[in-house]
Amino acid sequence: MPDWVVILAVTFGYLGVSLAVGLRSGRGASRGTEGYVAGDRSLGFLVMYFIMGASIFSAFAFLGGPGWAYSRGAAAFYILSYGTVGLVPWYFFGPRIAALGRRFGYVTQAELFAHRFDSKALSGLLALVSIIAFVPYLTLQIKGAGYVFNIVTEGRIPIWAGAAIAYGVVLVYVLSSGVMGVAWTNTLQGIFMMVLAWTLGLYLPYKLYGGVGAMFEELAAQAPEMLSAPGLAGGGGAWSWGGYSSAIIVSTLGFSLWPHYFMKIYTARDVPTLKKTVVFYPTFQIFLIPILFIGFAGILKFPGVTPADAILPTILTSLDLPAVVIGLFCAGALAASMSTGDAILHAAGSVIVRDFYKPLVRPDLDDTAQTRLIRILIVIVGLVAYYFAVVSKLDLVLLLLLSYGFLAQLFPVLLAAFFWRRATGRGVLAGLSAGFVAVIACNIWPELQWRDIHPGVWGLLFNAPVLVAVSLMTRPMADDHVAQFVVD
Amino acid sequence: MGSLRVFSSRLANRDRRIYGAVAVYFGVVFAAMLWPIYPLFSRARPILFGLPFSLFYLAVLLLLSFAVLGGLYLWEARRGRLDPGHERDL
Repeated sequence: MPDWVVILAVTFGYLGVSLAVGLRSGRGASRGTEGYVAGDRSLGFLVMYFIMGASIFSAFAFLGGPGWAYSRGAAAFYILSYGTVGLVPWYFFGPRIAALGRRFGYVTQAELFAHRFDSKALSGLLALVSIIAFVPYLTLQIKGAGYVFNIVTEGRIPIWAGAAIAYGVVLVYVLSSGVMGVAWTNTLQGIFMMVLAWTLGLYLPYKLYGGVGAMFEELAAQAPEMLSAPGLAGGGGAWSWGGYSSAIIVSTLGFSLWPHYFMKIYTARDVPTLKKTVVFYPTFQIFLIPILFIGFAGILKFPGVTPADAILPTILTSLDLPAVVIGLFCAGALAASMSTGDAILHAAGSVIVRDFYKPLVRPDLDDTAQTRLIRILIVIVGLVAYYFAVVSKLDLVLLLLLSYGFLAQLFPVLLAAFFWRRATGRGVLAGLSAGFVAVIACNIWPELQWRDIHPGVWGLLFNAPVLVAVSLMTRPMADDHVAQFVVD
Repeated sequence: MGSLRVFSSRLANRDRRIYGAVAVYFGVVFAAMLWPIYPLFSRARPILFGLPFSLFYLAVLLLLSFAVLGGLYLWEARRGRLDPGHERDL
């Protein structure tokens, strides 16, 4: 049997199991939005752990992580760093958010903020930001899936077909099972990715250098600049400390506020489950370390691979490994792409309906109609992202860069919502707008970024003072309303 | 400015000190991964446990943070205050 047939057989085996798990998992959920979007607030620790871990580990971690380590050395450590503290705010804010969700029936992030600040405009603005962040991110995942198929079958399956197969499966289980489908497939995909990352991350340095320590000894002797942060910039020269540090700051602040993670707070069965998820998250995060080993393993033995993201498939195909192993890798990379893509797809439909359409256009929309509309929008968002991934030549990287800067702007809003009684809807809207404008300006004119500091940081410098100033200039919100949210 | 309250008024002083210490710990860890602290430790050698020192340092911070938050969880569990819900209707 030719290798590529074996590889495809393993890959399709994985896709079949994902589909079966995804379809089965939705059976117990209720039919309205509480069931479809928040899983009836019933998820236990195991699925919560994997839903968070696997949603975060995207195609970027699996292909981009080694690519960064390979081409930019220690610059890749920033990915490891921001996850160390990024989820910690959940431990302290999560229980309050979950309780408010239970009491007022929230299933999205914007519903909480729009209610706290009594502002429909805020709801619309947050929906817009979510979609700006989601579409390019999803596009990247779909591209990654098509790319993996294409490379391991040596071009026999074109990118458009590979992407369509993987995301066809995702679409079926997200439509049928909602968040439960996302949760249980992520559990399967998460276990799969962890095993594969540790196996490959330890095996490749062993095979190529005789061990991880031996590999780093050789690198320290021949290319020490790759092992000390901030590593190299995208273009090849040295990266700056300003760029490295501010990338960590912006990613850390935005981390817990990505709308598709934030929504998962509402799905937890109870507070101890939520807290345990945060406590154990580092055990998932640490598997970035073997992922980075893979990229480091390529530096001396496989110079000049472009694009850098192809380093892992390049090493694998050059090592003469059994076809089953390549097939497992292919399945693992698809798992990484799909476990992120499914969560985004599901969240995108929910956000458009709950945060935009219902509050601003059709307040009387009943629950059954909402769930139906969410499903329709999931299909539309999937098609749009697929179009950008395989048809359009338009590059969405700028949107993705913008979205990291945007999401960090929500951090002051989170603090104001729970700690500052005097914060008002207009204050928050004005602060966010100022922050967004600053982020956009810094992306358009990069020379504004003194010392290479991330646009998101400049956004915060405008956002927070404007939030405070405008809040103080506007009428305070009613005491009894605010008391439901703030720490007292 | 309006009142700015970080801890619930129902929280005992001793408990506030513990939560305060955890908050300070995570602030320090965050700072330790950034300029100007991380440059002091971001070196290729010595290689410890097979890792360059720059990566070993970050791995230690990650594991330490796991231990600290895990410790807080166990402490809360022992005191029966994992779920603040029984203190207020939230």
